[in-house]
This record gives sequence, C-alpha cells and structure tokens, in this order.
Amino acid sequence: MSAANPIMEVKNVSKTFDRVVTALDNVSIEVRGNEIVSVVGENGAGKSTLMKILVGVYQPDSGEMYYLGRRVPFPKDPLDALRRGISIVYQERGVIPHLKVYQFLFLGLEEKFTKLGRLQLGKIIGLAKSVFEELGLECDLTSSIYELPPSTQKMVEIARAILSIKLMMVGDGGSEITPIIILDEPTAPLSLEERDELFNYLLNLKKSNSFIFVSHIIPEVMKFSDRIYVLRDGRVVAHHDLSSEKVTEDQLFREIVGRESYYDLWAKYVYGVGEVRERRAILSVRNLAKKGYFENVSFDLHEGECIGLFGPAGCGKSEIAKALYGEISADNGKIIVDGKEAKLKGEPYVRIKMGIGYFSGETGKELFLFWPIKKNLSIVNFEKVTKKPLKIASVISFKAESSLAEKIMKKLRIRAPSVEAECYSLSGGNKQKVSVGKWLEKNPKILVLEDPTIGIDVGAREEIYEVLLEMKRNGTAMILVSDDPKEYTILCDKIISVRNGIVQAVYTNEEFRRLMGL
Amino acid sequence: MAQTWISREWLQRNLNTIIPISGLIALVIALRAANPYFLTSWDSVITLVYGMSWFLIAACGLTLVILMGSFDFSVPSVLKLSAMIFAVLYPFIGFASIPVSIAVGLIFGFINGMLLARFNIPSFMATLATSMMAEGLAQVISGGYTRMITDPAFRALSTTMIFGLPSIFYWTIITWIIFIFITFATPFGRMIYAVGGNIVGTRLAGINVKMVRTLVFMICSMLASIAGILYASQIQGAHMQVGVLDMIPLFASVVVGGTALTGGVGGVHRTLLGVLIIRWLDSGLSMLAIDLNVRMIIFGAIAIVMTILTIDRRRIRIMK
Repeated sequence: MSAANPIMEVKNVSKTFDRVVTALDNVSIEVRGNEIVSVVGENGAGKSTLMKILVGVYQPDSGEMYYLGRRVPFPKDPLDALRRGISIVYQERGVIPHLKVYQFLFLGLEEKFTKLGRLQLGKIIGLAKSVFEELGLECDLTSSIYELPPSTQKMVEIARAILSIKLMMVGDGGSEITPIIILDEPTAPLSLEERDELFNYLLNLKKSNSFIFVSHIIPEVMKFSDRIYVLRDGRVVAHHDLSSEKVTEDQLFREIVGRESYYDLWAKYVYGVGEVRERRAILSVRNLAKKGYFENVSFDLHEGECIGLFGPAGCGKSEIAKALYGEISADNGKIIVDGKEAKLKGEPYVRIKMGIGYFSGETGKELFLFWPIKKNLSIVNFEKVTKKPLKIASVISFKAESSLAEKIMKKLRIRAPSVEAECYSLSGGNKQKVSVGKWLEKNPKILVLEDPTIGIDVGAREEIYEVLLEMKRNGTAMILVSDDPKEYTILCDKIISVRNGIVQAVYTNEEFRRLMGL
Repeated sequence: MAQTWISREWLQRNLNTIIPISGLIALVIALRAANPYFLTSWDSVITLVYGMSWFLIAACGLTLVILMGSFDFSVPSVLKLSAMIFAVLYPFIGFASIPVSIAVGLIFGFINGMLLARFNIPSFMATLATSMMAEGLAQVISGGYTRMITDPAFRALSTTMIFGLPSIFYWTIITWIIFIFITFATPFGRMIYAVGGNIVGTRLAGINVKMVRTLVFMICSMLASIAGILYASQIQGAHMQVGVLDMIPLFASVVVGGTALTGGVGGVHRTLLGVLIIRWLDSGLSMLAIDLNVRMIIFGAIAIVMTILTIDRRRIRIMK
C-alpha cells in the first residue's frame, strides 16, 4: 500500500452539543499508511470529540467518512470501529491492574478461544507470546499488570488494541489492512525516560500500523510525528507535513494558542512584573520531597510575589503545587507559612486556615456546577456571610450572601443574568471568573494557581490576569503551574525550572523571557 | 416569544417536585374512593400522625445521608436498638435511659462515619455491617423478649394531647423544621449539599469533608434513636419486630420526596411529601388487604422508579 494514499479519511465533520456548544466545525483529516499523525490543540479545542467520533462513541451532526477510498457510514459504536480497524487507547483507566498480562490482552475476546465452553489457556498464552515477539514487547506474560512499569503498561494496551483489530478483521479477510490506533495523551502518566521508551516502541510499530497521536505537548509531537493537524476552537487551523516542510516549536505553539491578540495582551502585562521590593517571606519551603514525584525543593515566597514552577508535563511541578495546597501529602521537608510550620500530611482545609488558597482552570473541578453563582462564591467566605446569633451556631444571611456575590460579579464583570444563575449555564471564561472570584474577598496570603486560564478566550484571559495581578498588588503571594510559557512571563517574578522532580535553576522573569525567546 | 409557561424544560427541571405532589394528590383521591371514611374524622388524623411521626424523624436523618451521596442501612436497626435500650433500662433509671439510648445511637453513627471518612469503606457496606451489629446488640439486650412498659409516664412522652394532637406530632415537626433550617441556612447545611454535589470541589474549598461526613452519620443515627425512643413510647415498649422491613419504605420515602440518590439534590423539606405518600400508600394497600410481602415488592419498585426519575441527568452528562 502506498503511504500517500489515505487509509481513512473524514471530511467536513461537525458536531454540536446541546445545539449550542460547537465542538467541531467542518473538520477534515486523513490517516495514511504507516505513519504517526498528530492532532494537537488546547484543552477544549475538540481533539477528544473528534477521536470519539472516529471510534463511534459520538455520532457527528454532519460529515463523511472514507475508508480506503470508499465512502462508509461513521462507526455506530467502538466495536463497529474495531471492525474497521480503528481502536483507541485512552489516557487513563486503560488497564485492569490485577489481571495477568495475557488475561488483559485477550479481555473481551475470550469467546474466540473457547472450546466446549472451556478457555484454551495454552493457545492464548502461545498466541500472546507470538504477538509480543512480533510487536517487540518484552515482558513476563504471567505477571500482573500493576507490577509492570507505566510505560510497559501503555505498550501492553497498545498491543491489545492492535491484537483486537487483527482478531476482528480475520473473519473479513482483511488481515492486510493497516490498523489505526488512536493514542489519547499517552504520555501523561509517564516520566521523561519512559516517554522516550514508548516513542521508540511506537516508531518500531509504525512499520505495520498507523497512529493518531493526540497531545498538547509540543516537543513530543515535533519529534515523533510525520504530520500534524492543529485544532483550535473546533476547526483545523493548520496542517503540516514534516517530511516536506520545516516547522518550529514556536510556530506550532502560536497556531495552537492562535489569536495574535494574545501576544498584545502578553506585551501589555509582561513589562509590569519582576519589580518586587524586598518584603517578608510568607512561605518558606525547605527540602520538600515526595517519593517518586519531587525531591529537595526549597524556596522562599514573599508577599506579593509570584513564583512559577516550570517544566514539561509530568516533571513534578503540579505535585509540588498540590503538596503546598494540601491536596497530596509530602513525605519530607518543611513548609512554613508565615512563620508557622504546616504539617506535611496535607488537608486543604488546614492549609486554607493557614492562608493558602487554590484556583484551577479545570472546569468543574472546584465549581459546584448546579449551584447558583452566589453559593459558589460564598463557599469559602462563610465568615463574611454569616451571623452568629449564638456562640456556636452561625446562620447564613441570604442578603449578605447576595450582596457579596453581586459585589464580586460586578468587579469581575461576570456576565450572567443574576447571582442566582446556575454555574453550568455560564461560558468557560465566566465559570473561571466565578472560581477565582471566591478568593477575591477571602484574600488568602498565598494562592496556588494551576492552569488558571486553560481553555478560555483572550478576553476572558485578560480579565483573569487583571484580577490575579490586582490581588498580587494587594500582597497575595502566588505559585503558578501552567503549560503556557507566556503565562509565566505575565504573572511570575521568579521562575523555578523543574525536571524529573528536581529543581534545575531559578530564573528571573527577564532571564526566563530571554531563555524562551519571548 | 410566544411560549407557554409550562415548557418542556420547566417540566424536566421540576420533575422531582411535580411527581411527588401529583402522586400525593392522586393517592388521596384514590384512597378517598376506596374508603369513604379516609381522613373524615379527627381520629383518623391522629392515627395518621401516630403512623408517620417517628417514621418522618428517621427519614429526615436518612435524607441528610443521601444528600451527601452516601447511604445508611443501619437506620432501622439503630431505631430498634434504641427503642430496646429505652424500654429495657426504663424500669431501672426512668427517663435517664433516653440519653443512654441516644448516646448508643451516636456511637453507631460515629462508627459509620469513621468507616466511610477515615477508612474509605463505601457507606453501603459499612452500614450494612453495623446494622448487623445493632441487630445483634438489640437481641442480646432484650434476650429476644418483648419488653412491655405499663408506666403511664413512659407513654405520655409521645401521647400527651396538646391542642388535639399527640405530643409526638410536635416532637416530629420541631425536628423537621430544625433540620430544614440547618440544611438551608447554616454553613454546615451548605456543606452537606456541597459534599453531595462535588466532593473534590468541597475539599478544595477548604471544607473538612471527613468531619462533615462523620457528623452527618452521627446526626442520622441520633435521629434514628430519637425515632426509636418515641416509637417505643407510642407502642408502650419494644420488641424485636420494630424496624424490621422499614428500610425499603424509608428509602422509598426519601427518593419519592425528590432527593436524588446521587446526592446534592433534594432536601429534608421534601421528605415530608415522600413520607405522606409512602405511609398512605402502605395503609391504603393494607386496607385493601394486600399482603405485607406484596407491599414490599411495590415499595421496592417505587423506590427504583423514583431513583431513576430523580437522578440528575444533567450531572450524568457532565460525568460522562
């Protein structure tokens, strides 16, 4: 089969949810033989929706699908997709930890290996062995999945995807067909070496398979893809054939983030930071460590200062942030908040009492989507909206709650009919504003930010930055974890670069900008 | 835009209010048709009050637990155990047996809460186990015998007539109103809904989830205890059949009222509706001489149907 002819092609696929949210708008992509084609984009760009259409989890509103040049209907369900030679390896929850490797490999395919109601174990193990040999995978078939290293687990999952396609296709006489395996952010749980291991394995498998690689980690995508589709706001905004054209990481990044105006925004803010006067240290971290995630992390955070933890996904930066906030516990070291040492065994409610707040842009993580805005805003501000008729009993004053919410809504320009509007009905940007707005009145000493502006448009981004910068001016110290280097330059005075859980270097904002070529 | 005020969306959004209210109306009409004396005399109202009061108290506790997205199987067993402790100790220490009985209930609630909050055992399993313990303890304490208390003071606790209604009615309504107030107008009540609505978000908002869970289970068991004490007083004693087969009707009244098993939706105020429906249906069916076991089948079916109807579909879509 010539590599240039697409095996599978979709044209003009559109998908709308609830008749309002457009997830995909006239998207066309193709997959050729024996290649790794990447689909990149920010969270919410429509990557997952597209993949779910390809494997039959969703049905598109419109669009066409071609298989080997023939027009075919979209798959009805994952099994249907499997029969067409398309399978998916999801980001998480792929493996079943307590199964043996060979059991997992044939999970759901047992009926093909049953004779008189008995499973032909010998045959299965024999076949598994030959499959592993063919796919160049070395591991003990009889060990349990959880005993394998994470990268090998992923490989076993990929092997299973290929195997199930092959077994499904045998009956159709289509064993010559190249299976298409969709890998949805396969590297998310892996460390850097494990990622390389996985990619070498994929390059090897490319000889007989095609891969759709879904990711937002630019260096990986650049290194291992043959072609790249860039998805933004449900549209394909760029298509690169890396064999014939040269693309820089920066160019790709610009395409993913899009919006030239984001650059203007960045330029507007970036020169205002980095001039922190010497203030007292509000957070001192000493030799903080958690086995397997990070070690020996030490820094001082001053009033009104923002420190960014920068590094590739999986480097331990978000774990450090989570340990500071108390979502996970560190094993070793010291966290001193405003002179008081915090217990390492973390619970967010203890840390909030000490003055550490948390804000993440991940929609739905900290919002109560079916609550009105006012309840979402008062959840951390009970002391501001309650009266105490008795010493032990506090009663919520609905009037105080509404006026607090109205105050925050006005200040953040949250666009909603009223403070009674339920949060799920708001746009992404407004949801994020509600999330960050609850801290505005609380005024924590330290605010931990995780991807604060993920998946929202420039206008909303700007408003979130305004809020954060104002809180910073008023003395709130911040820790930032993000995937976007520009965000660090907008918010941070100091950037700590982390790799494999170890602090590599500390940069000032200016040094960091030079380093990133911004 | 010309739109009728009863839009499809409005109907869907308020399904868990419309169903119980229309169900209640239909039920009253049906009962009236089957029995012309239904609710015609004051006596029948008092019978109704006796039948529902203790049940509503226990159902309020269960509602709080279900609002958190958990479940408590031990409610009828703790109710029985508390009734038994009250009746067994009454001849020796009089009304001092009430705090003892409630204390035992609180201990069971504390164990339930800790098993869930501290040891992460699903509440379904944890409370099933503790309910067995409560059953066993009740058996040990009573020796399996029925305990009759003939002291009029014992009975007066629930049967003293005030403005034409027995005192148990006032105990119940006071409890009901207190818990409506707690769930709506206090931070603690807000926290209960928060845990049921988004447990990750609750934790991130700096709420001590473990404490809320433990406290709610303690409140639930305490209310079961109070219900048991009042019921014992009402029937002048306790026996091993108290609370048997009450689990399904209790659960059914909570969900029929419109509190979703997924947590975060509904409330104690709704449970009154559910209790009215389930208890009336129960008495209506027994009036028609329908066997207890068949009634259990019907309640089970109602519980399942209402669970399906009240589960928040919007949320399921979000959860994927």
